[in-house]
Amino acid sequence: MSEVELVLFLEASVRLGVPLALAAMGEAITERSGVINIGLEGSLIAGALGGALGALAFGSAGLGVVAGAGAGFVVALVFATFCVGLGTDQIITGTAITLGGLGLTGAVYQARFGATGTALSLPTLAPAPLPLVSDIPWVGSALFAQAPTAYLAYALAPLLWYFLFRTEWGLELRAAGEQPDAAQAAGVRVRWVRFWATAFGGALAGIAGAHLALAHAGTFAENMSAGRGFIAIAVVVLGRWNPVLVLLAALLFGAASAFQFLLQAMGIDLPYQLFLAFPYVLTLAALAGWVGRSRAPAALALPWPRER
Amino acid sequence: MSQARPTPEGEGGPGGSGPLDGGGQSAAPARLQGIVRRFGPVVALDGAELEVHPAEVHAVLGENGAGKSTLLGILGGMLRPDEGRVEIGGSEVVLRSPRDAWTRGVGLVHQHFTLVPALTVLENLALGRRSAARGWRISYERVRTAALDLMRRTGLEVRLDGRVEKLGVGERQRIEILKALLRDPPVLALDEPTAVLTPGEVESLFALLRSLAAEGRAVILVAHKIDEVLSVADRVTVLRHGRTVLSAARGEVDAPTLVAAMVGDDRRVDDAAETTGRPAVRSGEPIATLEDVIVHDTSGRRALDGVSLGVRRGEIVGVAGVEGNGQREMALVLAGRRPPNEGTARLPAGIGFIPQDRAREGLIGDFDLVENVALALHDDDRFGRGPLLDWGKIRVRAEEVRSRLGIRAPGVDTVARALSGGNQQRLVVGRELALASDLLVAENPTRGLDVAATAFVHAELRRLTRAEDGPGVVLVSTDLDEVLQLADRVLVMMRGRLIAVATQHPTREEVGALMLGGASAVA
Amino acid sequence: MQWRERLSASPLAAGAAALMLTALASGILLALGGYDPPTAARAMLAGALGSADALLSITLVRSVPLILTGLAVALAFRAGLWNIGAEGQLYAGAIAGVWVGLSVDGLSAWIAIPGALLAAAAAGAAWALVPTLMRLHLGVGEVITTILMNFVGIYLAAFMVHGPLQEPRGVFPQTDQIALAARLPPLVPGTRLHVGFALAVALAVTLSVVLRRTRLGFRIRAVGASTEAAVVAGRIDARRVILVSFLASGALAGLAGGVEVAGLTYALYEGLSPGWGYTAIAVALLAGLSPLAVLGTGVLFGALEAGAGAMQREAGIPAVWVVAVQALIILAVLAIDQLRRRRVPTTVGAATPVVGAPTSGGVGV
Repeated sequence: MSEVELVLFLEASVRLGVPLALAAMGEAITERSGVINIGLEGSLIAGALGGALGALAFGSAGLGVVAGAGAGFVVALVFATFCVGLGTDQIITGTAITLGGLGLTGAVYQARFGATGTALSLPTLAPAPLPLVSDIPWVGSALFAQAPTAYLAYALAPLLWYFLFRTEWGLELRAAGEQPDAAQAAGVRVRWVRFWATAFGGALAGIAGAHLALAHAGTFAENMSAGRGFIAIAVVVLGRWNPVLVLLAALLFGAASAFQFLLQAMGIDLPYQLFLAFPYVLTLAALAGWVGRSRAPAALALPWPRER
Repeated sequence: MSQARPTPEGEGGPGGSGPLDGGGQSAAPARLQGIVRRFGPVVALDGAELEVHPAEVHAVLGENGAGKSTLLGILGGMLRPDEGRVEIGGSEVVLRSPRDAWTRGVGLVHQHFTLVPALTVLENLALGRRSAARGWRISYERVRTAALDLMRRTGLEVRLDGRVEKLGVGERQRIEILKALLRDPPVLALDEPTAVLTPGEVESLFALLRSLAAEGRAVILVAHKIDEVLSVADRVTVLRHGRTVLSAARGEVDAPTLVAAMVGDDRRVDDAAETTGRPAVRSGEPIATLEDVIVHDTSGRRALDGVSLGVRRGEIVGVAGVEGNGQREMALVLAGRRPPNEGTARLPAGIGFIPQDRAREGLIGDFDLVENVALALHDDDRFGRGPLLDWGKIRVRAEEVRSRLGIRAPGVDTVARALSGGNQQRLVVGRELALASDLLVAENPTRGLDVAATAFVHAELRRLTRAEDGPGVVLVSTDLDEVLQLADRVLVMMRGRLIAVATQHPTREEVGALMLGGASAVA
Repeated sequence: MQWRERLSASPLAAGAAALMLTALASGILLALGGYDPPTAARAMLAGALGSADALLSITLVRSVPLILTGLAVALAFRAGLWNIGAEGQLYAGAIAGVWVGLSVDGLSAWIAIPGALLAAAAAGAAWALVPTLMRLHLGVGEVITTILMNFVGIYLAAFMVHGPLQEPRGVFPQTDQIALAARLPPLVPGTRLHVGFALAVALAVTLSVVLRRTRLGFRIRAVGASTEAAVVAGRIDARRVILVSFLASGALAGLAGGVEVAGLTYALYEGLSPGWGYTAIAVALLAGLSPLAVLGTGVLFGALEAGAGAMQREAGIPAVWVVAVQALIILAVLAIDQLRRRRVPTTVGAATPVVGAPTSGGVGV
């Protein structure tokens, strides 16, 4: 395998890993506060459509990303209203949000552009190579000649880590996710914290979705999220709810998904459904292998306040 | 070392001025007047009053359900009164949240700890302290300094690093107290702190409380044990059915007065008289035995470290000890819910089990009485044919349990969740008694019950063992008095081992010494 | 609040309230999108119930896989298991059913049909086995694992119809038609309604009896309501109950796939299921997790699906909109159930809440 092929593989790994990283880091924050957002997929697809429509409306991919963030944010807000506000079951509410997101985006897309599925042409989010660092051999172009959303992901990892472990807000958020009764007794507004943590996670997932549409595929297609939201949730487990580890795990996953290109380059030709299924099988295997060693926030997915 | 008085903005440190000066203050640090609080149709507080003075240890006494915790919850800002007046430092306040109470100077140490197990001690101490930096970087060094300082002054010893989940109950309580003291509150309130302590730890706690009071603070101690109150309090307030029925200085009251105030008439609460005249312990082969049983807990350590025990028909074996020494595991093994990792457990067929958490482990809240009774009968051949259940017969049994145990419910179709705590326990007890033809294992069977329900359970346990061919009973309880009252034989559970007590009717001190790991007697 | 008391008295009323709430919400959303809600509603009703043919050949036919997957999900949820994987289990069952159906040419229908259906059920159970074992032995929550298995199942089916099972000419991504012997006979002659409908009804009744009257059914309900109490007070082997329930749930979903293939399409192709495995969640919840009620809600959702096409033709609303409606129904059911639960604690005669509290192991580590 030549250097060119390896670099291509690395570039693809990062490119595929970035949306996962963004969504997973957002979900890590959400879950640290005690909420599991199975509706993340809904935020993601909403972000993709929001990004596409925004880019078309404003003529700018950058503004499209902002629109995508907003769409993801709103979807997560609906989710939070039900399970944090009303106290409905997080798992089923999340499933409903995902279904609703997929259905709504499909319906809106078809209503706007017709059911034939001709590809949209969108202003895309072009790679923006960073000076100097992108010239590093091997990894330079892979890491630093990506769309700006990648740089956002790199920056967020240490920022979110610092937030969680070195600031008062982060401490309160973690307390809310571990032992909400204790947190409340210490003066933390648990529901408020969970609300915003969930909405934030949705916004990041929305950016991930916008990245998918504007940087990755260059168009919108129904169900294009393809379960990435669920994989992101698994990535959070593998990254032990630590933003930096989550970023690394997501990039590793990107590499696994890019694996198919490597194999094709090496002349190995397998049925392409196998490649499609590979990320999911890999996720299952990873969950099976790694699970015993990490611990979820103790109050995750439990309704709070607890019913009498 | 004198620093500014804690404000909502500033980071409070120990040794503030102001409320601790004490001298010449006419206003009481805290006063509650005419407090009424309802929970739906239940009236928890019906005009309760409390007034504490500086530099005193003030005990609030009452039986379970009298409203002590509710009153404390109001003082601590967790609950709002429906009617009444709360005064702190002489002025009326409306406490909207625990944080409000904090900033006004009330430090509350809860019964069920409010520490986050997964965080370190230092993080727990830092939680909720709003610094000048308002949400940003936490200065853990400052928290550590403040904590060390406070520990030096009060003699409290606490390890600051490491996660709370690894620490024992006694240490966790000290952390709770430290956490409350860090805010330098003029009023410190503790909700039933002695329930989880060994007698020795209780002594240390009381010494600490007295020294805190000597500093000028008002220390409020909520309790339901009279002798504790008599040993440490300067003044006593007694609550009954949500009202204040007595408020006096220590010198003005004695045990009978307090009992009468708590219970309301001359009925003798103390049923110790029942222990005399008990039939001699039956001899004969044990109905259940444990031999060198070893049980591992989830982290691999030995929760039971070679326990041997024999239980005979008709005897009540009492197992005392502070929670967390292996009682739970032993109860589960005895009840046949859990096989030992090593060693042998020889158990009879007819076993009944009263678990300590009746709401979560004993009953299914969404099931009605009939279905909850069915929990005991679903694999009994007499109550069904083949794979089918005979709900008619189960219903009859449920009716029997209901009437015999006097469960207050409109019918057997009532959901268990709708029953009061006492009635829920009657349901569990009734169901399990019917099963316990050979052995009954009871774990803290009267926890959280009022006096009437407690007496009822005790009477049932005695009645059971007096019957001809009655079962053996193993009573595991963190309530030392309960064990001493009921048991024919007393054992102490200590770090996964059983220690027998030499004398037939031991005193609290003797058992307490064993609980501290003192001299062990012949098993 | 009196209306809450009334709702508590009967889960049917709660279900009806959820439907009304959803209808209202959908109407508002449609109006916001510039569509005409009454036209849409009329088109949908006509498409679903407008004629006997519509009713029998479309609505009831459409409801068969929904009832079966609805039963699968209801059973799992009653046991406290989050089986979101009915979609993948369905596809696994369809693959197995088709495979057998293609292999039994010449055999009698008395062997072929049960053979195909049993294979489908077994495949569905096998598909549920992976998440089950991961939960029981590794403590991995089944929510994500069942969802992941959905994707694997869908791609496996796609692989099959592009490869090993593809029709001989190799032109279309679908299998050959299954042998005549393996096809389910019609229930009502002259329509497309096949025996599978009767099978679904029979299974619903059986499941209802099992849950209400058998020892196993009681244990399943106990474990689902409170695993701790079931284990401590009831001495129930929760692991065994979970295993049995999960596999049975998978089998029912697999059967849905097999029945669809053997009764309607006679072949497997990509996109066989328009998301029945997910719709099943709405079906089960709206039915209050009661097997008999699933019959009703399954037909209701069948009508929704049947009417969606007509709605698209006549009101111009994309058919995929019904997926959003399903989501709204789930949310409405959850919201109403939550409001019901906020009754004063000492109220007597409480109805069984639709959704039990999540039991341990549902989520992550």
